[in-house]
Amino acid sequence: MEKIELKAEPRTSRGKQVKTLRRQGLVPAIMYGHRTDPVCLQVEAPELDRVLARAGGSRLITLTIGGSKGTHMALAREVQRDAITGSPLHVDFYEVTMTEKIRVEVPVVLVGESPVVARGEGMLLHMLDTIEIECLPGDLLDRIEVDVSGLDEFDKAIYVRDLNVPASIELVSEGDEMIVKVEPLGVEEEEVAVEAVPAEVEVITERKAKKEVEQA
Amino acid sequence: MLMPKRVKYRKQQRGRMKGRARRGAEVTFGDYGLQALEPCWMTSRQIEAARRAIVRHVKRRGKLWIRIFPDKPVTKKPAETRMGKGKGAVDHWAAVVKPGRIIFEISGIEESTAREAMRLAAHKLPIRTQFVMRHDLIAGSEE
Repeated sequence: MEKIELKAEPRTSRGKQVKTLRRQGLVPAIMYGHRTDPVCLQVEAPELDRVLARAGGSRLITLTIGGSKGTHMALAREVQRDAITGSPLHVDFYEVTMTEKIRVEVPVVLVGESPVVARGEGMLLHMLDTIEIECLPGDLLDRIEVDVSGLDEFDKAIYVRDLNVPASIELVSEGDEMIVKVEPLGVEEEEVAVEAVPAEVEVITERKAKKEVEQA
Repeated sequence: MLMPKRVKYRKQQRGRMKGRARRGAEVTFGDYGLQALEPCWMTSRQIEAARRAIVRHVKRRGKLWIRIFPDKPVTKKPAETRMGKGKGAVDHWAAVVKPGRIIFEISGIEESTAREAMRLAAHKLPIRTQFVMRHDLIAGSEE
């Protein structure tokens, strides 16, 4: 697996001052970890975009911090994004120790095609997007592939316990959790619109007042 | 049409629609969504019209989620009434929508069909919207 590198600079502006940083095309970030003190960082937005697209939340990033020696292995643990543009506003990097086990949410990717869906009789319901695993940082998976070609009947499902993962990886998510299921196509009939009468809505406070009057 | 089953108070004050949506701004249930770009009071009729446009286009396929609910009563005074004499009667129900809010989500269909369904639905709505997809957390997906 190729190395993903990101250059960062230490950050002095805090709180609302980071708005100025964003206007300059920089994204505020923080790096923390087990037994390491948090470090405020700033990274260039276009570079960060490229790195996040490649690394997601489950691939190690090699962070080089300006003014300090050595590199840091980190995961992009939480990315805050602008609701409309989708651009990153702030990133949390979690520094890992290569000899210490960590828990990571790994995305589930569906591969293959279910025969029921191919015939146009049913649809796939993707219930679980990520699965939590525990392993050493060196053994991390960037995705877990789930083959859905075996789902040839309605109501057949694949659960977390059905997954085949390497022995070095421990599944933390409950085995009974459903990942994907085939469902018959729902008949969404076009019912005739019934005009809602707003006055018909029950008012709780009025009901209470009526009860009090009756009791008195 | 969508409306609450019961409410605590019959009428509400208007309130304000400042800022952006803090919650419900990400595609969570489905694969594709329709996101509001402007603030508005979206009436239950508009939501229903848009829902029908989507259902009609995708036919029986896919699964649809409506991520907003019209829980705000909107009152109106009768025509040709003089001012005063109290607040008017409840006329309809609306959802307060802020920019960024996901209005509909859909899954189980191809992207092109979802795009077209959302385009048709957007024509029934009083604001500008955009088609969005679930944020891709998968490493290497954009390589």
